[in-house]
Amino acid sequence: MTTNTFPDVARIDAHDKVRGATRYASDDSRPGMLHATLACATIGRGSIQSIDTSAARALRGVRLVLTHAELSRLQPAGFLLAGGYGVQSLQPLTSPNIAYFGQPIALVVAETLEVALQAAALIRTAYAVEPHQMGLDAPEADIVAQQESPLPKPMFEDVHVGDADAVFAQAAVQIDATYASAVQHHNPMELLATVAEWSEGRLTIHEGTQNAEGVRHGVARQLGIPAEQVRVISPQVGGGFGQKNSLQGQTVLAAFAARALGHSVKLVVRRSQLFHASSFRAATRHRIRLGADHGGTMLAAIHETDAQTSRHDLFPSVNAEVSARLHGIANFRARERLVRTDTQTPGYMRAPFEHMACFAFESAVDELAQALGQDPVALRLANDTQRDPVTGKPLSSRHLAECLRRGAARFGWARRSMAPGSMQDAEGQLIGWGVAAGAYKAATAPAVARLRVYDDGTALASVGVHEMGQGIRTALAAALSRKLGIEPDQITLDIGDTNSTPQHITVGSWGTATAVPAAVEAADAMLSALAELLPGDAAGRSPAEILRAAGRRSLDVAIRRKAPGQPDAVFTRLATGLPAPLGPNYPDFVSFSYIAHFVEVRVEPTTRRIRVPRVVSVADCGRVISPRTAASQVRGGVVWGIGAALREASEVDPRYGGFLNADLADYVLPVNADIGDIEVEFIDRADPLVNAMGIKGLGEVAMVGVAAAIANAVHHATGIRLRDLPIRIEHLM
Amino acid sequence: MHPFTYTKPRTAQDAIRAIAAGDAGTRFIAGGTTLYDLMKLDVEAPRQILDVSTLPGIATIDTANPRELVFGAGAKMVAAATHAGLRADYPALVEALDKAASQQLRNMASLGGNLLQRTRCNYFRGGAAYACNKRSPGSGCAALNGLDRGHAVLGGSDSCIAVYPGDWAVALAAFDAVVDVQGTAGPRTIPLAQLHREPGSTPETETSLARDELILRIRVPKTPLGRASTYHKIRDRESYAFALASAAVALRMDGTRVREARIALGGLATRPWRASVAEQGLVGQVLNAATARAAGEAALRGARAGHHNGFRIELGIRTVADALLIAQERV
Repeated sequence: MTTNTFPDVARIDAHDKVRGATRYASDDSRPGMLHATLACATIGRGSIQSIDTSAARALRGVRLVLTHAELSRLQPAGFLLAGGYGVQSLQPLTSPNIAYFGQPIALVVAETLEVALQAAALIRTAYAVEPHQMGLDAPEADIVAQQESPLPKPMFEDVHVGDADAVFAQAAVQIDATYASAVQHHNPMELLATVAEWSEGRLTIHEGTQNAEGVRHGVARQLGIPAEQVRVISPQVGGGFGQKNSLQGQTVLAAFAARALGHSVKLVVRRSQLFHASSFRAATRHRIRLGADHGGTMLAAIHETDAQTSRHDLFPSVNAEVSARLHGIANFRARERLVRTDTQTPGYMRAPFEHMACFAFESAVDELAQALGQDPVALRLANDTQRDPVTGKPLSSRHLAECLRRGAARFGWARRSMAPGSMQDAEGQLIGWGVAAGAYKAATAPAVARLRVYDDGTALASVGVHEMGQGIRTALAAALSRKLGIEPDQITLDIGDTNSTPQHITVGSWGTATAVPAAVEAADAMLSALAELLPGDAAGRSPAEILRAAGRRSLDVAIRRKAPGQPDAVFTRLATGLPAPLGPNYPDFVSFSYIAHFVEVRVEPTTRRIRVPRVVSVADCGRVISPRTAASQVRGGVVWGIGAALREASEVDPRYGGFLNADLADYVLPVNADIGDIEVEFIDRADPLVNAMGIKGLGEVAMVGVAAAIANAVHHATGIRLRDLPIRIEHLM
Repeated sequence: MHPFTYTKPRTAQDAIRAIAAGDAGTRFIAGGTTLYDLMKLDVEAPRQILDVSTLPGIATIDTANPRELVFGAGAKMVAAATHAGLRADYPALVEALDKAASQQLRNMASLGGNLLQRTRCNYFRGGAAYACNKRSPGSGCAALNGLDRGHAVLGGSDSCIAVYPGDWAVALAAFDAVVDVQGTAGPRTIPLAQLHREPGSTPETETSLARDELILRIRVPKTPLGRASTYHKIRDRESYAFALASAAVALRMDGTRVREARIALGGLATRPWRASVAEQGLVGQVLNAATARAAGEAALRGARAGHHNGFRIELGIRTVADALLIAQERV
């Protein structure tokens, strides 16, 4: 286990990023490249009766127009959550059926983007319209109890521990409240974009993806070619957040067109189309019942969730996985239901379940504290646990109490007056201080790592992981540098390329915990191999010195590793682009990351604008490998929490289907001016069980609990309890 | 987006001649921040674009004239917002510019073009999927029974409730600005308050400009009210957002009593909305929280709530009241 902390160093790609030198797929340009764009459906549901592309085809510069007539023979790639590769089971342009507003109906390829756009606007479509439904208040026939659904068990089994209903019914203090959120969209800066190029029967795809291996195998299956003939390159993702976690609908369209035309084809999904092109954070509704005794011991909780899915897929609801683990509650029952709506399939968006599950549960805990007249930090500390409440197994590490204590001290929580509405600043602004805890599973995926050192002092490392801005290149370089004694800028990192090692999907906050221990294991293997080159004489020499002394130009090692307790079969899944993570339930323990957020809000007394001048977040993510990028991750997560709590909503007009505010002016993300001080602190203590480096995960736990802390602070400022997100001015008027 | 020809007339006369010779598909362009945006959405499809951004003298700003401030229509929003002395003497004008759009857009957008910014109604911008009398006359108004949180509570009709989205015109309305235009029939001057039309039954006609008329400059009569002024804008985030409610106010006081007041509303109405009755009601009053609120209530009198925008009537009242108290501190 690593016992030393890592130094605070700048991210290795910082200068490239701020200079705009980092190249993304949509920046790609190559000789003879053609430009493609999509035309999309404008009905909520139905089918295409006729589609007239003659005017588009007749336009000068148009090289190809594809509709379902040409693409119906594509093979299905399957849905990620049903053993396949796709962001949903539905591949646009393979049938005349329209499942949702905004579904692509045609692809236009032209010599310039401008001509492609013009041609796409000339396509005329006649539809047979069928009724659609968009909301959680759906007919009974559209509601699926997850427990009875085909989704695999025990993975998607309702949590059930003790006798929550009976204990809740007898509890002296009861909270029973319902919390909800609008649909939200990831909106990374980088749009979905694919550049497809064929050469001698082999396909190369340049695309920002968190899952190069899945895209490779999925598109190969769709085209009916061996995966060996497909290479996917994703060295930099311009923001993923879960959106780019699987095969998107546009990829095969670009590949098909490029093959048909004998030219490389670039297809960028426009921002307005993006709201319907990929997944989104489902609308959810959570009823929380929480029972405690007068002393504040939480005795029982019931968490019932209704979560949106599509009509063609079951995107699961795993909300209670985390809510059942936040506090040491002996009796817990969950019920997860899925509500079919006529949308594309919703999916994973940063802290996909944990954000809303903890918003709901940590709001309820705040309501309980208020009902008990207890301090909400003290209440959480009194209900801490070191044993997993769901399985009874030990927790690999849990320093949530220390996060709460350190956060409270740093924030100045002791100066908080308990009564809502009791704190004001000199200008009459209402001050509210809120706290909430968050947790996120510490999962691990299998990985292959290869390492080569050269006699000139450089090294080349290949490992399965994707850089999506989180700083994994910086973390890998830091860990390898420490082990090998090679400066970070002398280490080339070959990641996100299927020609390198297998590129397992990088999501679920398992990237660092997967890739860094693998790289370090390879470095250990390298040190052993180097020692064997110069038996008894290697000590004190750098790898390059050893190689030169041994007369070697370079040396290679490769290792593979998997999560504790995983069978070797996971390496087959890894090699075929299928997800193979384990966690939080390991054979001998359960592992989570934790965080405590302390938030100050100021509410204007008249026009009721809510500001967030100050946040203190203390995270327990195991060992911190790259303190600078880790702190950035937490700040980014807090910004996401502010967005989710106070800003973002994808607007649904049920008459039309789809999402109405499909641009960055009207989908209200937070801007710099919305963000105040965010102080970040880490426990930075290695987890003793989950991997040799002691790394848990950080990218998602960073966001978990922020929304609850904000809503709790708003309540403290105003006395108004708001249970629906986003919270806006009108809710405080 | 559709092909168009782009030309750059050398003089205003050339520009007017060219637009008169063209058809309805011929359009002026300056900063392009509205027109290009709507072209990419296929809401606008001009065939000929006449770039007037570099016409001689079009970008001049003159604040030295003793009687009036003169803003060339082609001046960039950022140029006016940073013009020497303006912030001290007319904070409402500068704040209206500063709080509009983003720095990047303010660097591009022109003062004249900004007056003609088109609505952000999502049904208007969303294209053919949605009914919109403004985009497609006679097709109906999806907003009337739709997501109208951001729509007008003042000046709407059964045909259209789209909000006029700008800030700058609202501040100008408070200062009795006028607009000099030139067309084939010659020059004329339009009070800013008469530049924008309410939708009535013809929401596609948004201004009183003839098709061949070009805005040359905006003139603002100099007034001591300028110093005690503010543009108070309430929105869903702290920057880069349109107003949920805004108020441009200016005051002249006799001690604690109001001698003269100007109030214009933004974000609430189908056009920049001067609240003259509220202004009159303040004259002679001691300005305090109660009279400020009464002025807000007078300004919003007659406002009509739809399905989701009712809160903005109360928000508008409070915005006016707060703006008056901010301006009072600047007297």
